[in-house]
Amino acid sequence: MPEFEKLHQAVLDGDQKAARSLTEAMLAEGVAPLDMITKAMVPAMDEVGRRFECEEYFVPELLLSARAMKASMELLRPLLTASGAQPAGRVVIGTVKGDLHDIGKNLVASMLEGGGFEVVDLGADVAPEKFIEAVKQSGAQIVALSALLTVTMPSMRTTIDALNQAGIRNQVKVMVGGAPVTSQFATEIGADGYSENASAAVQLARKLMAGSQA
Amino acid sequence: MTGTALQPARQRVRDTLAHREPDRVPIDLGSTSVTGIHVSVVMGLREYYGLEKQLVKVYDPYQMLGAVEEDLARAMKVDVWGIPRRRSHFGFVNENWKPWRVNGLEVLVAGGFEVDTEPDGSIVIYPQGDRTAAPSGRMPAGGWFFDSIVRQNHFDPDHLDPADNLEEYKPVSEEDLEWNLGWLAVGEMTGRGIIAAFGGTGFGDIATVPAPGLKDPRGIRDISEWYVSLRSRKSHIHAIFERQCELALENLKKIHNAVGDRIDAVYLCGTDFGTQNSAFCSVATFRQLWLPYYSAICKWIHANTRWKCFKHSCGSVERFFESMIEAGFDIINPVQCSAAGMEPEKLKKTYGSRLVFWGGGVDTQKTLAFGTPEQVREEVLRRCEVFAPGGGFVFNPVHNIQAMTPVANVVAMLNAVHEFNGVPNA
Repeated sequence: MPEFEKLHQAVLDGDQKAARSLTEAMLAEGVAPLDMITKAMVPAMDEVGRRFECEEYFVPELLLSARAMKASMELLRPLLTASGAQPAGRVVIGTVKGDLHDIGKNLVASMLEGGGFEVVDLGADVAPEKFIEAVKQSGAQIVALSALLTVTMPSMRTTIDALNQAGIRNQVKVMVGGAPVTSQFATEIGADGYSENASAAVQLARKLMAGSQA
Repeated sequence: MTGTALQPARQRVRDTLAHREPDRVPIDLGSTSVTGIHVSVVMGLREYYGLEKQLVKVYDPYQMLGAVEEDLARAMKVDVWGIPRRRSHFGFVNENWKPWRVNGLEVLVAGGFEVDTEPDGSIVIYPQGDRTAAPSGRMPAGGWFFDSIVRQNHFDPDHLDPADNLEEYKPVSEEDLEWNLGWLAVGEMTGRGIIAAFGGTGFGDIATVPAPGLKDPRGIRDISEWYVSLRSRKSHIHAIFERQCELALENLKKIHNAVGDRIDAVYLCGTDFGTQNSAFCSVATFRQLWLPYYSAICKWIHANTRWKCFKHSCGSVERFFESMIEAGFDIINPVQCSAAGMEPEKLKKTYGSRLVFWGGGVDTQKTLAFGTPEQVREEVLRRCEVFAPGGGFVFNPVHNIQAMTPVANVVAMLNAVHEFNGVPNA
């Protein structure tokens, strides 16, 4: 299994070139794409998350690992889709209306993708109706909302209310995060979960998926 | 000391910056781009204090901060005067004011403030007021702030030129010096402590990395690319910081020749090292990438001036304080007490004799924005009790007062400081 270990290490090191070339080589050798994800990619990004949690890694390292992971995933994703393999879950993510900040949201999206989730990233300044449309189109089980500003926190509530009014609130779990957002605020606006960083967001998404399937 | 008695406000500021307990806690509201008030709240405060109806100037359109004019400064009993920046974040000079309406509010913006409304209702702003350039900032529909539009031109990672990321750093001009001297004279007439932000000493401030004031920026301008470079292109970052530092030192010499020791503090850098619960980088990275340049700047200032060195960094940054003190910073702002490891009592006990806390007065993310006036009062009084003893505290909320913050809460905040100070309220 040295190839899996090398790919695992390339993601940990944030070595984009190595991750891509290793993926190409392993595919050429006939390694199954799903195996590469479950045996290298997901454990590597879990380890990245662990190192982030215990402050061995910071934002630059997280971004580098995410890039390495994405370089590999660009090659694997089309093959996975073709084979009908199911992701750990499907997440629609965006920064809420009125808020243009996306660094935190991008980190969460990358960590979720690295955690085996399929991510539909709507970008920043996303209107509630766009979240609704994306949930309907993608069949996502989770909606992840981000806000950095105190003045845009109310847009999270507006988005959740819109999901209710569209009749699809019960189909999805809603998770929220961002600098001024708290667990208490998440409860107040009717979200299903709150995470304080990108790594914890993956654990939360897994927990929400387990809950929704129970 | 000159031997001339200072006005009480300026003496108060100087005492607290020297870690001597002043007659009362000095207050700052509006002196810098990190201790200001959103223009909508400035308008509300002017109305509350019954001041002359006038359009409020926006010197900082990026954050839409409103000017605190002398009548409002007196009403709020503030003790610090800030020399306004000559050029805005978007590169135009703050002059030739004209009205502009946003979200139903009419404000004054500089003549170079040129915007367009997009089909989705968002407003884009042009660098240096040049409509032939690509817009460099965007305010979402119904929003209250601009954010930079990242304009990342292609760059060859194997052939990076530090000069590309230095275009915005230029030798200080005669016009800049005249501007500072003119406003300094105005500031001295107020009798308040004086702070200035001369620019050029913010190393890798993520708000300036996209260079929203340049028409066609080169180099690494994408925010994620910049963060990645802190790890993967350290020698390149060093080369940028080294040249920027050399230029900043040359400028500081010229500026000091002009303004002398007539200012009390200098805002040096707004690079944020903290997040809500952690940090953007390790202490080791800070010491490797930033400490040499911060040290060079602060060392020159302390060797040649009486200015105190002001450092802004949001978030959980207590872990960097020893290094910041070693670099020569005297003042830390905004003292985000709600962030991890930023408990007021611990900060005061551990660093209170070595760092001035310019901020930390009340939480702007929660209490001031969403609390009741009584909750604001209680928090302000608690913070003053912790930070005030022995000096080393300039009252300011944690960062700028945000749009939509209730004016009643801002008044409650000010009244609580006056209550702590034993000063009658307005």
